[in-house]
Amino acid sequence: MIQVIDLNFTYKKTKKQAIRQMNFNIREGEVFGFLGPNGAGKTTTQRLIIGLLRNYTGQIEVLGKERNQWSKEFYEQIGVAFDFPNLYLKLTAKENLQLIGAYYKTEIENPEKLLDRVGLLPDKDVRAESFSKGMKMRLNFIRSIMHQPRLMFFDEPTAGLDPVNAHIIKEIILEQKSAGKTVFLTTHNMTVAEQLCDRVAFIVEGQIVVTGSPKDLMIEHGKRRIKVEYKLDGKLIETEFEMDHLAENKQFTDILKNTDIRTIHSCEATLEDIFIKLTGRNLL
Amino acid sequence: MRFLHAIWVDIRFQLKQGFYLVYVLITIIYLILLSFLPEDVLSIALPLVVFSDPSVLGLFFIGGIIMLEKVQGVLSVLVVSPLRTIEYLLSKVVSLALVSVLAAFAITGFSNYSNVNWLLLFLSTVLTSGIFTLCGIMINAGCQTVNQYMIKTIPYMLLFVLPCVSLVGFPYSWVFTIVPSVAALRLMLGAYTGIPFYEAVALIIYLIGINYLFLRWTIRVFENEIIYQE
Repeated sequence: MIQVIDLNFTYKKTKKQAIRQMNFNIREGEVFGFLGPNGAGKTTTQRLIIGLLRNYTGQIEVLGKERNQWSKEFYEQIGVAFDFPNLYLKLTAKENLQLIGAYYKTEIENPEKLLDRVGLLPDKDVRAESFSKGMKMRLNFIRSIMHQPRLMFFDEPTAGLDPVNAHIIKEIILEQKSAGKTVFLTTHNMTVAEQLCDRVAFIVEGQIVVTGSPKDLMIEHGKRRIKVEYKLDGKLIETEFEMDHLAENKQFTDILKNTDIRTIHSCEATLEDIFIKLTGRNLL
Repeated sequence: MRFLHAIWVDIRFQLKQGFYLVYVLITIIYLILLSFLPEDVLSIALPLVVFSDPSVLGLFFIGGIIMLEKVQGVLSVLVVSPLRTIEYLLSKVVSLALVSVLAAFAITGFSNYSNVNWLLLFLSTVLTSGIFTLCGIMINAGCQTVNQYMIKTIPYMLLFVLPCVSLVGFPYSWVFTIVPSVAALRLMLGAYTGIPFYEAVALIIYLIGINYLFLRWTIRVFENEIIYQE
């Protein structure tokens, strides 16, 4: 779906090289996460693929064609939700969907159905100017998928949302994936990446430092140990055990049999740990 | 179809943002002021007032419209939609020209001024509106705030308005007709006071050419400054 080879990009005005020798590919039907701190080059990469930046070197093959060979037809097939709300503030939620939706050749999904999906149906005739940031972000999000694009770009899709609404948005993204759609996600929210992405790429200073599935990365960079928390004689005790031959570990089996177990956790690394380990930087 | 829809969207946007209400109020104020003028002064004042509408007012209105679209983030949505740059720009030109024509016809119609060439009034208003709308978009492209736009507009305004003084007539004053605003005002005056046929045709062709050049230029500026922020 997207194949990026030896991509380099330098901003003309600032002469800053934002992307250096970047290589990655995104398969059809995959949710691909681009993770990195602010200023790492996530948005620049996204803007290059979307076609909002030109004059790159290297290759960006997207939907079967080199990006700079695409005309405006490209936008019929993609959906973009930025990380800030961008709506006609004096128009209602429904009007916002209808007016932008009419620019597409494909028939858009029923606006009321979409609004209902993100809990905005009761506010369909309310002007966007009176919406909270979370409501605007939800409207923004459904507007990006209403024309049923094959490829979607989401920039921090759950930013500013409460847990319930963030959950709805994540559910919709997974539904899109189930329908065979491809999603390119940029975020610095590790939980979102873990929950949604089939694969992630860590980016720092315009370069990808590692790519892989969140689960594989977490296991590969974690410890093969488990941590047991149990109560003995009224005291809370925490002990770690090697995962290998765990069933034959007498101390472990004794704890299981004779104590009041509180928690048992495997010690895989979090995505944040891996990022810090590989780049020496924090994500925020 | 997409282009017609873009015009419809612009009309809705301008209406909801209250631009048309401002137009109606300004038109009423113009009419009240013009009603106090004697017939001989009216023949000069009326074209000037009508001309100021698509030019000076138009320049400020398009600035406000684009700035609002920028602030609300709507522009960033449109650039990732199938709407083409030329469709976006022309929809602005057409929607504002439509309002200018309505205002020009209303001011002229209610002023009890006889002998108006309505076709010429229509053409001169549309062509003037086009030039100033496109010019406003170009000025606006590099601006981040309304104040910036206002300050940047002043030299352009002087460049367009000052040469119009040449229409009072002095040796070789016709040379100034090369300035698009002078050509447009000359055509508009012709709609009220009469103009030789060949001169009207020449001015119309010239102004169409200027509109076309401004459109090409605006597309380039808009794409470089607004779409591709490199």
